[in-house]
Amino acid sequence: MPGHVTRFAMAIVAFAILARLPVGLDTGFQFDAALALIWGFGILSLVVLTGYAGQVSLCQATFAGVAAYGAGMTVSSLHGGYLLGIVAGVFAATVLGVIVGLPALRLHGITLAIVTLGIALVFDKYVFQDHLFDWFTGGTGGWQVTNASIFGISVDSREHLLAAYDILLALFCLVAVLLVNLHQSGAGRRFRAIRDSELAASTMGVNLTRYKLLAFAISAGIAGLGGSFYPLIAGSVSPQPFWVFTSLQLAAIGVLMGVRYVPAAALGGMFMAVVPDVLTRYGHGTFMSRFNYDISYDWFQIAVGVLLVLQLILMPDGVWGDLRARAAAMRIRPVKKVRPA
Amino acid sequence: MTMLRIRNLGVRFGGVVALHGVSLDLNRGEILGLIGPNGAGKTTLFNCISGVVQPSEGTIHFEGRSLRFAPPHERARRGIARTFQNLQLWGSMTVLENLQVPIDAVGRRNTLSDALGLPLSHYAERSARERARAILHVLDLDGYTQRLAADLPAGIQRRVELGRALAMQPKLVLLDEPAAGLDAGETEHLAQLLHKVRERFRVSMLLVDHDMSLVMRVCDYIYVLDFGKVLSRGEPAAVRNDQNVIAAYLGEATPELAEPEPGPTVVTGLPRTDAVEVARASGRLLEVSGLAAGYGRLEVIRDIDLTVQAGEVVACIGANGAGKTTTLRAISGVVRPRAGRVVFAGRDIAGANPERISRMGLAHIPEGRGLFPRLSVEDTLRLATDTSGKPENLAAAFDVFPRLKQRRRQAVGTLSGGEQQMVAMARAILVQPRLLMIDEMSQGLAPTIVRQLFQMIDVFRSQGIAVLLVEQFVESALAVADRAYIFEHGSIAHEAAAEELRRDRSVIAGSYLGTAAAAPGDAIEVASNGNGHHKRITDPQLMEILSMRVPAEVKRALEERAEREGRSAGALALELLEGVDR
Repeated sequence: MPGHVTRFAMAIVAFAILARLPVGLDTGFQFDAALALIWGFGILSLVVLTGYAGQVSLCQATFAGVAAYGAGMTVSSLHGGYLLGIVAGVFAATVLGVIVGLPALRLHGITLAIVTLGIALVFDKYVFQDHLFDWFTGGTGGWQVTNASIFGISVDSREHLLAAYDILLALFCLVAVLLVNLHQSGAGRRFRAIRDSELAASTMGVNLTRYKLLAFAISAGIAGLGGSFYPLIAGSVSPQPFWVFTSLQLAAIGVLMGVRYVPAAALGGMFMAVVPDVLTRYGHGTFMSRFNYDISYDWFQIAVGVLLVLQLILMPDGVWGDLRARAAAMRIRPVKKVRPA
Repeated sequence: MTMLRIRNLGVRFGGVVALHGVSLDLNRGEILGLIGPNGAGKTTLFNCISGVVQPSEGTIHFEGRSLRFAPPHERARRGIARTFQNLQLWGSMTVLENLQVPIDAVGRRNTLSDALGLPLSHYAERSARERARAILHVLDLDGYTQRLAADLPAGIQRRVELGRALAMQPKLVLLDEPAAGLDAGETEHLAQLLHKVRERFRVSMLLVDHDMSLVMRVCDYIYVLDFGKVLSRGEPAAVRNDQNVIAAYLGEATPELAEPEPGPTVVTGLPRTDAVEVARASGRLLEVSGLAAGYGRLEVIRDIDLTVQAGEVVACIGANGAGKTTTLRAISGVVRPRAGRVVFAGRDIAGANPERISRMGLAHIPEGRGLFPRLSVEDTLRLATDTSGKPENLAAAFDVFPRLKQRRRQAVGTLSGGEQQMVAMARAILVQPRLLMIDEMSQGLAPTIVRQLFQMIDVFRSQGIAVLLVEQFVESALAVADRAYIFEHGSIAHEAAAEELRRDRSVIAGSYLGTAAAAPGDAIEVASNGNGHHKRITDPQLMEILSMRVPAEVKRALEERAEREGRSAGALALELLEGVDR
């Protein structure tokens, strides 16, 4: 396992490469790149919660949504700076995370999944979309966010989308490194101990209440960090990106890519943001000037389902986990074959 | 000084009284034994002490302070560590990491500093690793530090669990069946280890185990639980001679040493019915030839040739890891055979689906019984008849196991181990099998129950059902079996009539020793099986093997006589056995 310095160096290299990716693309793809990071944060939040601590949650998009609305409201209604908006958004998401974590102290597996799914539904139907909360949600139109800047860098979505992308990417790389550190640290071991056997963890001195709530808080905070950038890059907030299905998709794609591994979050985010857009753009036309085809967004959802089934059979540890294991197996293989004399 | 003081402890699960009025004192530095038949409440008592179960009444004081409102992790930090009967290591973590978690818990680490990788955390991390390595060194686990806990064999995992408990810097360690699943050599090693651990780490221990020889050897004082109450307590010698204890735990008086082996015991008194004769006449029921199987890259068994006649009881014996379980799995199709033929009732079933094989009348009760803990007894049995398409006739099962009729509505998981095994056996016979394969039927069960279960096997035979047994209680298995196969290193080393093996024990002794680790002691030369093959056997090993888990009394008597005559117990035992032969 590489040391701290190596990890930071790897993160900087990853930043340098990924920062170049969307340069020169049209605005649509630049938006996709930024969106990929937001969903990347969403999957990263599952890496801590599910991958490390073994808890189930089907409301990660709700955390992101609460943070998005929190940030949007701070900027538009309270006229705070965008930085303050992010802080407010992450704080709101973290608080909600601790509240959602409370039932997890008693529940496990499928029951916990249902409860968190219920929370996602409630927020989707009765908070984000309900007229009762129009004062908070800004109604169906949400808020327009204009002239936003962070540290004096203008990150307004219409002109400086790439600047917002770069800041988001830097944060993503930083959080990713911190999470890998966390995995190898004492707290990470306590999370993993809870995942492998709660009984043994509690009788070996791990405070279950504290560490389960901590896992939910960290997880919700990370999802919220991504979500709080949404109003910035989209220029507005709306309920649609954070509805129940997004939470399910985050969970499904997280498992597909390998929910125990930090880099899988980047892969998953990209997959989730870019593939549907490519499908809607290029998914229709005429093949060999005879067959008309139209592969719309619906096909993306079907594809995720099929891929998930294939992955569970062929790569039970997720795409990244499997590739990693294969790479490790190649390294162990002897370099030279001994020829018989 | 009293370290742990328990007064009037009571636990009820619904209507079931698991513990009632239990009082117990444990002094600093003491190793206290806790014994009793299955379902006596030993593990429940452990759960109360470690805080996993809340008692309904009574008090527990540790070092003078009440534990009433302390959650499990708080008790752990105060110095109570434990191991588990069914291993609870963190499988996806390395052995070293498994030990680091409790070390951190005592040291109270800072999460934020950990994630940022601050120098403070680096220092704490390094010292934790050093401590963990030191503990692993004492337990002879140096070679396993970086291995994932889940990949280790059960014997090693038990030792890692002990190490993890010690990493807590505990004052009291609760050991729940540390010898379960260990072979004779490993148990011997464990006994020495526990004494070493007490000296080195200055801990007191509370020990639950079924291996009476271990408990008697290791413990300073013993409590006997039966039906949730303290039946008796005292020094090992006193407990051993307590008639109440013998009646509760062993069920009946034990046979005298060196008395000629009795012939095949007719335990049930049931006459052999015509069904048996018919079944016997029909010849070979199962014929296995050249069977090989394994897991992943590992080939566990090869060249297995084995037959079972209709209505015959055949035992598979041999040391841990010799391939007995894998052989049963390959026959029933749970593991896909890699080579060889498995002919059952005239059809080759090698590689067929397990459910098709079971429908042909081959029932397999796996190690650990393979039950669904939340289903009731009745539903479990009904499920078996439903899926097999056989007529539903639960009465047949309840006739054989009347005890299950009383418990028909109870969830299987709440039954005692012996009753669970009865459910597994009842389920198997309901599908009217022609061959029943039972893997480690007696594992973790008290001798009284084991005796009853072996009687059942005789009943099955009288009903014309052939039985293929894998068994750790070699004596009992040979008493009921017609023939036996002895496994060594993944193939069959010997085949003989059970009668013959009971008379000439050197064959079995040799086979077990082939894999047992060498231990210090007087070495004796033993001729094995007349093929001129000599093996050096050490005295403690020989004691373990010759006794083949005979009751502690018999062994003790042997050791006492050896001491009187000033000779090694092994040599004496061998001489006595040879006397029986002549």
